[in-house]
Amino acid sequence: MRHFRFVAALCAALTLFIAVPARAAVNVVTTLPDLAALTKAVGGDLVQVQSMALGSQDPHRVDAKPSLALALRNADLLISVGLDLEIGWLPNLQTGSRNPRIQVGNAGFLNASQFVRLLEVPATKVDRSEGDVHPGGNPHYLYDPRQAAAVARGIAERLAQLDSKNAATYRANATRFVTELDAARVGWEKRLAGLKGVPVIAFHRTTPYLADWLGFEPIAFLEPKPGIPPNPSHVAQVLVQARQRKVRMVLIESYYNDREAKMVANMIPAQLVVLHGGTDFRAGETYIQHINEMVGNLEKALTAGKGG
Amino acid sequence: MSPVSRRPRAALVVASFIVLLSTASASAQESVPPPLPDAGIQEPDAGADAGSAEEVPPSLTPEELAEIEKAFGGDTQQGVPATTSAPPTATPGGGLPLSIPGSGSGTNLLDMSFILDLAAAAFTSKEPLQGGAHDPSRNGFNLQQLELSIGSVVDPYFRFDANIVYSQFGVEIEEAYGTTLALPASLQVRAGQFLTRFGRLNPTHPHAWDFADQPFALSRVFGGEGNRGLGVELSWLTPLPWFVELTGSLTDATGEATARSFLAASNDRVLSPLDLQATGVVKQFFPLTDDLSLMWGLSVATGPNPTGYRNRTDLYGTDVYLRYRPITEASTTLLTFQVETFYRRRQVPGDVLTDFNGYAQAAWRFSQRWAAAARYELGTPARGENGEVAEDPLDPEWTKNRDRISANVSFWPTEFSRLRLQAARDHARWRDEADYSLFLALELVTGAHGAHAF
Repeated sequence: MRHFRFVAALCAALTLFIAVPARAAVNVVTTLPDLAALTKAVGGDLVQVQSMALGSQDPHRVDAKPSLALALRNADLLISVGLDLEIGWLPNLQTGSRNPRIQVGNAGFLNASQFVRLLEVPATKVDRSEGDVHPGGNPHYLYDPRQAAAVARGIAERLAQLDSKNAATYRANATRFVTELDAARVGWEKRLAGLKGVPVIAFHRTTPYLADWLGFEPIAFLEPKPGIPPNPSHVAQVLVQARQRKVRMVLIESYYNDREAKMVANMIPAQLVVLHGGTDFRAGETYIQHINEMVGNLEKALTAGKGG
Repeated sequence: MSPVSRRPRAALVVASFIVLLSTASASAQESVPPPLPDAGIQEPDAGADAGSAEEVPPSLTPEELAEIEKAFGGDTQQGVPATTSAPPTATPGGGLPLSIPGSGSGTNLLDMSFILDLAAAAFTSKEPLQGGAHDPSRNGFNLQQLELSIGSVVDPYFRFDANIVYSQFGVEIEEAYGTTLALPASLQVRAGQFLTRFGRLNPTHPHAWDFADQPFALSRVFGGEGNRGLGVELSWLTPLPWFVELTGSLTDATGEATARSFLAASNDRVLSPLDLQATGVVKQFFPLTDDLSLMWGLSVATGPNPTGYRNRTDLYGTDVYLRYRPITEASTTLLTFQVETFYRRRQVPGDVLTDFNGYAQAAWRFSQRWAAAARYELGTPARGENGEVAEDPLDPEWTKNRDRISANVSFWPTEFSRLRLQAARDHARWRDEADYSLFLALELVTGAHGAHAF
């Protein structure tokens, strides 16, 4: 029963609780590595950033490891994608972190979807017969650098509010980052001009923002409905559609098993493009490098498709 | 340790709880920051006073701060309660008539979901030894449960969770408790009716189980509903560099199906904290690699039992959970291994009874939709201080070992539905022969998407 003596002593000590001096850097935890990369871009050395998920993980299905609650315990700011993307794993961690700052509704919680021009917001009633739907809109908006720019500005504003001493620095960093991103975007758009109006097949509904930006046309998805794995009859249908429309590209995120996608791409025939699900933030990759790599993959498929 | 020496300490814990609760709101250091206006981004000058709660604006001297604290009873930073239920207005689609609660804003008034568990069952035995209240237990169709799960943030200081279980002929409040959100120093208090955190499986609901029924260890030691009660719990996330969580709770020690080894059905009046069940748990988590995690728990519970004056029951348990799930590459593989043991020591008139119950299970999810699992369980008879098998007041027929082997296959059409085919061989050595059983269980989940605990 030593444990009880300990708890009793602890409670007594707590009544004499004394202030802890604030840390120098703002401690930010993001759900996904793309958000971490954007935060690092606008926060620089003033922030300490950590992503809960890896880019190689399906953001819908992340394990709520207790070590993540540990990371949240000391966070000044938690940034999430929102739109129910993290609904299966984030709420318990927020509660378990015992950190009042990052609870929904407080200044230390930022739902990044508020800065985004959302796509696929259902205009009618939805239910799960449609599969695992996101009733607030499609959450995969960070594939579009224009949305990422808006998110970066939003993150900078929130950092400026939490750490008002350095507000000017955050805003200047955001402006510099957005300028850099816009310049890169012009280059990417030039390289991928040939994608306009091109029909493509995708695995999961992650493509609307990318399609909106680059102008290609996702005509069908290998998943019959979001979250439901491909089945033979549906894949056969997709294959017929793809051949009819002369599809030259099949897109799949790196966190999905690409067995079916590979097979379909071979049968059409079309190029298989693997999109990295997120920035490899842990290895030091920046958001711009991540999109640049994605653009490179699309470009390769585009030129190969033309040649083939 | 004698009960007498525990009495002042338990009283101290209770007293500290009360002091802690009353001072929590007066702690100005880690209090809730002021709420944001609904418009998401603030004008820079409007946000000037919304800094981190730990910061003192440079223009404020310590004397001034002391004066403010004096005037406001230490509540310097606690503004108007945040509007936790108002979605940010910048989110389009927030006002749609949605049939799924918890629309995309990430905030909503109430998360509700219904979970239905049905099973068709066949047993070779006339009297199956199924102890769990939600187990399939008779030939033919079984309504295991219809669970209504409700959760919501109450205000910046509390969240509310409840699990209300409907059976065919009644309703019971399985859990209904509040959890603090804003206590300082990584502390958290739960108060209400809740499942104690003893071990790994006890605090969970059938939806999270890898099998259609619960291990008999839980129903034998705690009762068919698992160990729960009205009470209060304090948990602390220690500042150590790895996850160490300490939990202590005091709960009602009565209940035939919830505190079987303690007061069970007897209606003894509570005269001191010693008449309640006290539970202590240490949970540790080790992320061994990106793909491999280990959770280790040690639990102890103590409380009175009705066999005589000041007779007590002590339970000691440990649980190990190993989880392998590749996350650095595309994979749907999930391998889990779980062991839980319960050692029970009961004071009865003229003797002390000890017995051991436990289970070990492995589950392998080999594709997005399919998984297989196997489980071995063991329960020993109660033995007296002389080592001989003794008369067990709770399970008089349990005079020899009992073991059970179960195996199942699960199929998830989507995340919201599950079919499970399970077979078991239950060998209670005091019976003439082993019993066999076969279940086909169906689970449907509708409503809000619940968050999964680890």
